[in-house]
Amino acid sequence: MNCQTCIDHLPELADARLDEKTAALARAHLEGCPGCRAEYESLRRTLEALDALPAAAPSHRLRARVMGDIEAEKLTLRSQAGWASSIRAAADARRGRRFALAPLLLPALGACALVALGFMLGERTATQRQLADLRSRVDTMGQLFEQSVLQKGATGERLETVLTAGEARRPDDRVINGLINSMAFDTSVNVRLNALNALYSHADQDVVRAGVLACLPRETNPLVQVAMIDFLVAAREHAAAPELRKLVGDSQADADVRESARRAIDML
Amino acid sequence: MAVDWHPSPPVETKAPPQDHELMLAVRDGDIDCMGELFERHHGPLFGYVAKLTGDRAAAEDITQIVFQRMLKYRHTYRDQGSFTAWMYHLARRCTSDHFRRSAPAPIAVDPADLESRADESRGVDESAARNDDHALLHRALGRLDRDDREVLLLSRLQELSFAEIAAILECSVGAARVRAHRAMRSLRDQYFRLRKEPLT
Repeated sequence: MNCQTCIDHLPELADARLDEKTAALARAHLEGCPGCRAEYESLRRTLEALDALPAAAPSHRLRARVMGDIEAEKLTLRSQAGWASSIRAAADARRGRRFALAPLLLPALGACALVALGFMLGERTATQRQLADLRSRVDTMGQLFEQSVLQKGATGERLETVLTAGEARRPDDRVINGLINSMAFDTSVNVRLNALNALYSHADQDVVRAGVLACLPRETNPLVQVAMIDFLVAAREHAAAPELRKLVGDSQADADVRESARRAIDML
Repeated sequence: MAVDWHPSPPVETKAPPQDHELMLAVRDGDIDCMGELFERHHGPLFGYVAKLTGDRAAAEDITQIVFQRMLKYRHTYRDQGSFTAWMYHLARRCTSDHFRRSAPAPIAVDPADLESRADESRGVDESAARNDDHALLHRALGRLDRDDREVLLLSRLQELSFAEIAAILECSVGAARVRAHRAMRSLRDQYFRLRKEPLT
């Protein structure tokens, strides 16, 4: 081994990262080369001094603070799970109704038309009750969320999270729930819009369509309202019709939103 | 006479879960596992940030923010990832944010060193000399570029592999190695200059 090669290897020799064979060659060179040996010694002494620095220890407050964050996150997760399960229940009820109605309606379509109609109305009422319940939960939970997790961090960070979640090819339930929560509760219009966009890829899931439908009455920004209406049309969510009619008839609603809702009813 | 010998069944010793497994559990909703990761890593992580910033209070804040971000971005943790590299990658970004907010860059001074210097009862010469040597090394560290200081702390004090350092610094393994070597030589030059000692 010549001097140049040896000098190149010295930092790794001093740092004990060199493979055994090369290290042996370098050590053999050092035996007979005072210049390289001095270079090696200076590096070794520097690293020795670095290793001897006393380790700084954090105060006990750090543990308390981080453990507090962990507990807060667990609470949030439980709250989200409760809310998401409500949406799922509503979605399952609607899906269950579709399958349950088919065998009842088809054989007795003529003779039992009135009975079937009454049954359908009853089911719709039940679903509407569930959606109403969901909306009230959204409203109360919203106030809770606004002061908690979703407001942690800058808007840019929350947006980054939403965009990252949207890029996931096969997101699990928690990612979907996170996106729905961001769409429902985030104070930034940009974050809400991006969360909604990210949910487009999952519009085939009942929980996603039910989530958007539940959030529509709570939404106050016309831009997001129109985007939600477009989503429901694209997803062919027929259950959105009553809510859309309500928007059309709402004189307080933005003109663009009302027009958008009117077109959506026609398309659905 | 033949003796029936039944070997005793092997005692099942369950190895503690690896960091990667714990983080996967956190990602999948078992938030309590973050507590175990905190216990394992907060000391070295705090030491790294404290030496990088030279500010104990800031180092505690940054360490807390790193764990907050691990919770917040847990869904982005990948199966094939190295937990340590991911954690230090987050720490690096948090520290950069800190430096951006608080210009000019502080000189790295280890708080532990300040505490030991405050202890006047230990007036032994040897101890004083050692503390002087620590102070010199801290000054030498403080004179390095932040990038050099960072790669040196990761490679020597955190004992990370060049592959892990490359993942943290978002560069090639070769580049990480070259940067570590350059940083080591820069520290050596500064340290010996402060000691007023010739290199050869």
